[in-house]
This record gives sequence, structure tokens and C-alpha cells, in this order.
Amino acid sequence: MQVADPKQLVALERSAARKRTFYRWLLFLILGLFGIYYLAPLYVMIVTSLKSMEEIRQGNLMTLPGDIRFDAWKTAWSGRGYAAGDVFLRPFFWNSIKMVVPAVAISTFFGALNGYALTKWRFKGDNLLFLLFLFGCFIPYQAILLPMARTLGIMGISNSIVGLVLVHTVYGLSFTTMFFRNYYISIPDEMIKAARIDGAGFFKIFFKVLLPISSPIIVVTVIWQFTGIWNDFLFGSSFSFGEAAPIQVALNNMVLTSTSVKEYNVDMAAAFIAGIPTLLVYVLAGKYFIRGLTAGSVKG
Amino acid sequence: MATLKVSDLTKNFGSTQVLKQINLDVSDGEFIVLLGPSGCGKSTLLNMIAGLESVDEGEILIDDFVVNRVEPKDRNIAMVFQSYALYPAMTVRDNVIFGLKQRKVSKEQIEKSLKHFSKMLQIDHLLERKPAQLSGGQRQRVAMGRALVREPHIFLFDEPLSNLDAKLRIEMRHEINKLHEKLGTTMIYVTHDQVEAMSLATRIAVMNEGIIQQIGTPQEIYDKPNSVFVADFIGSPAINLINGTFSKNGAEPCFIPEQQKDDVKISLSDYSFDSEPKDGQQIIFGFRPEHINLPDVSLKSQLPVQLKPALIELTGYEKEVTFEFYGNEVTGRLPRHIETELGKPISLNLDLSEISIFDRESTMRI
Repeated sequence: MQVADPKQLVALERSAARKRTFYRWLLFLILGLFGIYYLAPLYVMIVTSLKSMEEIRQGNLMTLPGDIRFDAWKTAWSGRGYAAGDVFLRPFFWNSIKMVVPAVAISTFFGALNGYALTKWRFKGDNLLFLLFLFGCFIPYQAILLPMARTLGIMGISNSIVGLVLVHTVYGLSFTTMFFRNYYISIPDEMIKAARIDGAGFFKIFFKVLLPISSPIIVVTVIWQFTGIWNDFLFGSSFSFGEAAPIQVALNNMVLTSTSVKEYNVDMAAAFIAGIPTLLVYVLAGKYFIRGLTAGSVKG
Repeated sequence: MATLKVSDLTKNFGSTQVLKQINLDVSDGEFIVLLGPSGCGKSTLLNMIAGLESVDEGEILIDDFVVNRVEPKDRNIAMVFQSYALYPAMTVRDNVIFGLKQRKVSKEQIEKSLKHFSKMLQIDHLLERKPAQLSGGQRQRVAMGRALVREPHIFLFDEPLSNLDAKLRIEMRHEINKLHEKLGTTMIYVTHDQVEAMSLATRIAVMNEGIIQQIGTPQEIYDKPNSVFVADFIGSPAINLINGTFSKNGAEPCFIPEQQKDDVKISLSDYSFDSEPKDGQQIIFGFRPEHINLPDVSLKSQLPVQLKPALIELTGYEKEVTFEFYGNEVTGRLPRHIETELGKPISLNLDLSEISIFDRESTMRI
């Protein structure tokens, strides 16, 4: 081995430290740029929604509002008070809630039940069945529009919230089943065997043993399903119209049907309102997600 | 009272036969250890006894009743698993009494059993904790507690100590032993660890490839293994096996190690053959490492040998020494005070009263 000169070592040490600082700053710079790039639209939305139309016409896209006014938000949420032709979000927001809550709950529950049966009560052809479920994940929305429309028609629930709940539940089952199946496969079968010897049956094991330790995957599934269903436009616009429409369809109608002038501040506020629930779910459930992951597993 | 009888039990997974006509008779209070390498079918057998796997052919009888189609919960058994299989969302208390609650046992009775057994297993201070907050040993105790409160007729253990570290494993082994002494319940225990098997069992069933190779007391299995597989599987360091030929040599039966001239002969006159081999039959000569000894006058049948150590390993209490022995490597177990030096021959004796002879073709004891 070569014996290094102590002076040389000091120089090496210094240059390494310099390099490290340089790269660190470079990293922050790049990350910062990306951060700005992604946050810029949000900034424009919020700023615009708080301006008056006067300000929007005169000012620049990025300037801050002169004084903060929530008029646009009010208009977007509860309308201008016209008798006819006034589209505003409030009723459709509740439509979406009435659609998304049952659809998420039902699809998550049955996904969990499917995943449990597929991993812990193995039967002939279970892998084939799971493959079919996986296949369901790859079917594009557009492919099921016509058959679904027929089905809803025959069942007499087209253009209703119930119909949309059914559509989203059925379409979501493939994903929720996959999530839960992949989670439950990592849970030792011995736990189920122990519960069987203890005398618990299929549902008792599911509710008492498995479901209480499923919070991480429940949260993942809920985030996934909630975002997907809340933000869906295609099913909403295809299978509902008028009063039964979910918020995304209403948002579209509202923005497109403004009569004389485009009211950008109202549009922005409306778009933001339509996005709030998903943001909330991320913020609230994200915390539980991490908590669930760190809560301690089966083995030490 | 709890007896178990398994007759002609067969199990297939797809086209592979994992159990081939297993027969096993367990009388009340016995501690049976199913011992074998992984994949030999021992866990499958245990799962079938528990009712967690279906029976393809044959019968399982508990207390003389056929239980082939009886649900696990109704078989009067309890099982302890390798991963403990505690319910992570429940406290220790709820884990232990879960089975009793399913059985609709009265509250007073549940409290009484819980108190009794948690005290016995020294987990009474842990009752309000979750399994995640327990150490491996404590989890093991809770798992045992869960089995014990059911007061089953038969205990089943599926490698319960494999996840513990070496020291704790020995501790828990002692406790299981004491437990069996105290309760006198029939126990069936699956392991691949021969030391566990030897120290716990009243009888060991050595399994390989879906068959019970030999069943007997630990002493029988160790001293008189009925096949090369059993001989090799039991004992650490492993038994020394040397290939060679059987020779009648007039009246005295002898063993001639392979590739040796005729002048090397080991007398087998003191070995009691199950069936005398033919002259020239290919056999395997087996002796355990502890049967290479210092000369001992009290032994009547011994062979003096000069052996050169090729490798010396100190294990603490004794030394494991590898020797060259007629073209084979053999291991000897010597007291540590014997002076050994690599390459320097020492005079030792081979105890011929404890050897085992196997047929080379069938690999069975002869």
C-alpha cells in the first residue's frame, strides 16, 4: 500500500468537503425548482380565485390579489341566486359524497373479503380466479361503458347515484381485491390455523383476527378508491346527467355554460372545491398510513 | 385419557405423495417427537392430526373415535406454532382466552383458568400487553398459555422453539419437559432438531420422504438405528460410516474396509446380526465418534488403533478430532485433557460393542 503524505491527506479531505457542500446545494436547487414547477398551478388557482374580475383583467397571472375576497368561492358553492340557469356546486358536492362513501366502503370491504378467501382458504382454481381479477385491473374504463349502460338500464338504476355506486364498486373490486390479497399473503397462515383450532369460523377469523391488523392496507385502498371515484368524470358523465350528476360533471357544466363572460375566479374556486376532499383524505389518512406501518408486526 | 392412532394415512399434494401409509400408535401420556429433515412430511402429519389438512386415505383416531371429518375445534387438541401465531390486535389476555370465549365457557371459569395458567407460565404481569410488545420468549409462553387454558387431551407442537435463540431454546425445552411431567398430557411434537427430540421424547419417530423410518425410545434410536438414514440423522457430530466387505474368514466374521489389503480386518464376532450376511457382501460399518476412546480395560470388545489427527476442534468440554482411518475420514470425540497434535499418531481404542452394521444395497441394519 502506498503511504500517503499527511499534507496530501488534508488537501483531499478539504476537497471532499467542498464537493459534498456543492452537491448538497445543487440537490436542493434542483428539488426547489421541481417544487416550484409543481406548486405553480396551485398558486395560480388560489390567487386567481381570490381576485375580482377587474383585477384578473388588469393584472398579471402571478400577482397577489389586492384585497382578499371570497365572493368567487361563495358563487361557486351556492350560486348567484338566479332562478334558472344558475349552476353551482353544492348539491353536486353532496351527490359525490353520497356516491363515493358507499362505493369506497363496499368495494374496500369486499376486496378485503376476497383477498382473505383467496389467501387463507385456498381452493381449486384460486390462482386462476385471482388472475381474472388482475385482468380486471387492465380493462380500460371505455371498454365497459356500453355493457354497463345496458346493465344499469335493465336494473332500472341508470341516471342515479345508486347506479354510479354500483359501477364504481364493480370496477374497483379488481383493485381492492389485488391490494388485500397481496397484503394477506404476507400474514402467516399459522395465525388462521390457530384461530380455527380455537374454534373461530370464516367470518369470525376475518373480523376478529385479520381485519384489526389490516389498517395499513385499508388506508391504501381507501386513498386509491376515494381518489379514483371522486375524480372520475367518464362514468359520471356517461351514466348520469342533470340532478344526479357527481361534482366533476357539474364542474365541467359550470365552466362550460357560463354565459357572457368567463369568470375565471369562480372557475378556479370551483375547481379547488372539487379537489378539497381528495386533499383531505391524503392529509388525514396519510398519517394513519404511516402509523399503521410502524405499529409493529407479527414477528419480532 | 387420550390416545391417538393413525393408520395407513396417505396424503397427496397434486401428484406428489407427501405421506405414504403412515402408521402410528400413541398411548396416553406419551411424548412423541416426529423428527426428520424439512420436507419429510412431519408437519403435514401434525396438521392432519389437528384437522387442518384433509385426509386422502387412511384413518385418524383420537380416543378410539375416527376423526377424519371432525373440525379442528372439536378434536380436543391444542397446537403451538413455530411463529407463535398470536393475534396481533388482541392483548395477551384476549389471546389466551379467545378459544374459551368461542366455546362459550362461563366468565368465572375463564377467569379461573386464565389466572391459573398465566401464573404457571409467568405471564400474569403481561396480560394487558399486545404481542408486539413482548420478547420472543414471552410470546412463546403466551402461545403455550393459549394452548394450555383449553385443557386439551392432546398437545400438538409444530417446531415451537425454532424461532428462539440458542439459550432461550434450551430454557423453553426444559419448561416443556417439566410441563409434560406435571400435566401428563399426550404430546406430539414436530422438530428437525435431534437434540430437542432426544431430550424431550418418550418415543421418537424418525421420518423421511413420507415414511416413518424408525420409531422407538431415544436410546433405541441412538444405539440401534435401523437404517443408514436414521444413523446419520441422529447424533452430532455424525456417525462414522465406512464402506467395506463382509468376510467369513473361517469361523470369525470380519469387516474389510474398502480398498484395503486383506490384512486389515476388523473382527465382528461380538456383533449380534439380525441376519448373518453372506461372505463377500457389501456392508457399511458404523460407529459413533464417542466410541473412539482411550484404552479401557473394562470393555471386553475393543480394537486397538493408531490414529493420526488431521483436524482438531475444541468444543469446550471436549475435542472433536478428525482422523485418517483406513482411507476414510472419521471423527472422534475425546476428552480435552488428551494431548493431541496434528499428524502425530496416538494409540486409541475402538469400542466394538457399540457398532452398527448396515447392508450397502438396502441401507438397512443387519
